[in-house]
Amino acid sequence: MSAVPMPSSRNYLDDGFSLWSWLSSVDHKRIAILYAISITLFFFAGGAAATLIRMELVTPAGDLVSAETYNKLFTMHGVIMVWFFLIPSIPSTLGNFLVPLMIGARDLAFPRLNLASWYLYIAGGLFTIGALVAGGVDTGWTFYTPFSTMFSNTHVIAAVCGVFVVGFSTILTGLNFIVTIHRMRAPGMTWFRLPLFIWAMYATSIIFVLATPVLAMTLFLVAIERFAGVGIFDPALGGDPLLFQHLFWFYSHPAVYVMILPAMGVASEIITCYARKDIFAYRSMAYAVLAIAIIGFLVWGHHMFVSGQSIYAGMVFSILTFLVAIPSAIKVFNWTATLYKGSIRFDAPMLYLLGFVGLFTIGGMTGLFLASLALDVHLHDTYFVIAHFHYIMVGGSVMAFLGAVHFWWPKITGRMYSDRWARFAAIIVFVGFNLTFFPQFLLGYLGMPRRYHEYPPEFQVLNVLSSAGASVLAAGYLLPLFYLFWSLRYGARAGPNPWHATGLEWQTTSPPPVDNFAAIPVVTAPPYQYSAQEER
Amino acid sequence: MISHPVPAAATYVLVWAALIGLLLVTLGSAYVPLGWLNSAINLAIAVLKALLVAFFFMHLRSAHYMLRIAAAAGFFWLAILIGLSLTDFMVRY
Amino acid sequence: MSVIVARQFDDAEQQRNASDLGMWVFLATEILFFGGLFAAYVATRLHDPQAFAMASRLTNITLGSINTGVLLTSSLTMALAVRATKLGSRRAATAFLSTTAVLGVAFLAIKFTEYALDYRGHLVPVLDFAHSGPHAGGIENFFYLYFLMTGLHSLHMIIGIVVVAVLVGMNRRGDFMPEYFTPVELGGLYWHLVDIVWIFLYPLLYLVSRA
Repeated sequence: MSAVPMPSSRNYLDDGFSLWSWLSSVDHKRIAILYAISITLFFFAGGAAATLIRMELVTPAGDLVSAETYNKLFTMHGVIMVWFFLIPSIPSTLGNFLVPLMIGARDLAFPRLNLASWYLYIAGGLFTIGALVAGGVDTGWTFYTPFSTMFSNTHVIAAVCGVFVVGFSTILTGLNFIVTIHRMRAPGMTWFRLPLFIWAMYATSIIFVLATPVLAMTLFLVAIERFAGVGIFDPALGGDPLLFQHLFWFYSHPAVYVMILPAMGVASEIITCYARKDIFAYRSMAYAVLAIAIIGFLVWGHHMFVSGQSIYAGMVFSILTFLVAIPSAIKVFNWTATLYKGSIRFDAPMLYLLGFVGLFTIGGMTGLFLASLALDVHLHDTYFVIAHFHYIMVGGSVMAFLGAVHFWWPKITGRMYSDRWARFAAIIVFVGFNLTFFPQFLLGYLGMPRRYHEYPPEFQVLNVLSSAGASVLAAGYLLPLFYLFWSLRYGARAGPNPWHATGLEWQTTSPPPVDNFAAIPVVTAPPYQYSAQEER
Repeated sequence: MISHPVPAAATYVLVWAALIGLLLVTLGSAYVPLGWLNSAINLAIAVLKALLVAFFFMHLRSAHYMLRIAAAAGFFWLAILIGLSLTDFMVRY
Repeated sequence: MSVIVARQFDDAEQQRNASDLGMWVFLATEILFFGGLFAAYVATRLHDPQAFAMASRLTNITLGSINTGVLLTSSLTMALAVRATKLGSRRAATAFLSTTAVLGVAFLAIKFTEYALDYRGHLVPVLDFAHSGPHAGGIENFFYLYFLMTGLHSLHMIIGIVVVAVLVGMNRRGDFMPEYFTPVELGGLYWHLVDIVWIFLYPLLYLVSRA
């Protein structure tokens, strides 16, 4: 790999200081920052809802908020966290910033579509905030019919409009990434020399473009059915509520793979760097993300085992769900093998990603419990399910996201943050996370249902532990705001490659120039050549 | 991607004639009582017409393989949605 | 006039390849967007096949079949328009593009006539659907899907006609040449996809039980 960074060329942060220069920029790096700010705001909004939920659940009685308000809280928590934080988090921030840099391109294939995707995100967000301000939605983020179409008295149509619009934002992002990765790789950057983060972005983008349109149509049908009072989800009119669930989960299950695949991409980048080792079995890692994306489309019925769908369908979906665990497990084995005999440094990004591997494994394995038909009869709609997906989405994806923010912070901002504070925050997050969610596995197994604002007194101890954990977790999430923003002003200026990492993004200045590279690099070696580096 | 020779106008007209012919066949056969075969024939003819439009009018015949994969992926994924859902619908209905 | 290559691309060929792939990926999303409705159709028809048979007989087969012919012909003229642009025949391209737009408008005119007749036949759900009997719910569901699917298709036709009209303007201005005709190619792809959607809608809505 060869590229000569020129420190005197203008970097993308200096390329205009007005608000309009930011809001009209088609530079993928600036758009990434726009997304980063937006998703952070939504994260804390969704977190506020979670705070109220955990506060209510400290006592068995439903004494903090009414049942209706509680329903609105968990709905808004889900809607905001799923569509406005987690799905765009890594792809639209780090993906947008890093994809062109990692493949040696000057920008994405369609920069104006990229900016349009952010405006669609904001428009969708405004619809959803509007629904929230107007009084909220109480259907759950899953909008099940016929409650959402016929019986709910809340602002369902506004909320589904918001999600409909933000869906197109992700479709455009996915389309952009697919075309960019196919057509704009630097000379010598063959498919099997791509960083695994790019493979993960590619697999995620396939899901974006193939699954999201079905969600859009489904939500459109919900809105029309609610508005018109006629429909195909209404059993009284010869319709079928399970038709909604099939259509909804056809998207929403692959959507959870959208949430984890980018985190897996991040894991391969960070673990190799901080173990100073090549990734174990590169090709199987690349094939595994594709396999997860594709098989992930075949398992949606595992959300519907007790819905009344045919037992035959249940068996088919159960088997397929067991299958999709295999490529995920392969990845966990390979990260572990990468660590073996590595020179491990416990910097903050590595702490986050070590946490990721362990917590993702727990979350993934509990998914197998849920995939077993008989066990799911007992566990469905209990806190076991909630603990399962929070272990993957929060213990997995959010921790990987935080690790990624720290890892690439010097590249994006040109500043170094305090590693001591960062490591402290990582440990707080890890402790807080487990204290919050591990008791929920026990609660679920013991039979506490989800989406209930009150519960029998015998569940109180575990709920109190969980809520205590949530306050620790909240502190852990707030800490980075302080030291990261502090670093923007007072942090040491970063060189091009403070972590001595491999990857084209580290071959250019921090922050990168507007056109990413002074000269487009020519690639001559596979990624993660850390062993070769160590020998020098 | 290399530049491709431009097809003759006659090719397009022939394809159009085939499409109209297939339209007449599907319309005509609908009036012949064949039970479930009617739907099967109609669907098969629709697929054939779609393939003609895709391969000739949309130039998939001479296109880069990636474009054909993108086209196939759309239909294949729709088949997954409908096909796997049928494991439920065909049993319950 | 030479081809303008956007900043992020190395050359015109990379730009054209990116546009082609981007368009086909977009078409795949359209297939799945309409596909949701097709999936709903399959489920609802399986739920009450007799209702769908009865309802389909109430659609206007004459207008529907003529419209199918109109749309297939418009695909021919669109393909010929792309061909003319590739060959640098500006006037032929304008003629074929304009004919495509006119056929598109004809399709919509026939479609809206059909809608008016459907309304008079009390087939429009929500407005004044008036059919009773054991399969009334299923028949209403059929027409609910019929209006949604053909309505969404008509919306795509309107967008397509606007796109073709813009292409006529750009062509007359001399924007296209054998080395650069990407907007016409992509517009053509969009038009043909909307045609393919109708190719599947036609038998599913009009031909369910005519024998």
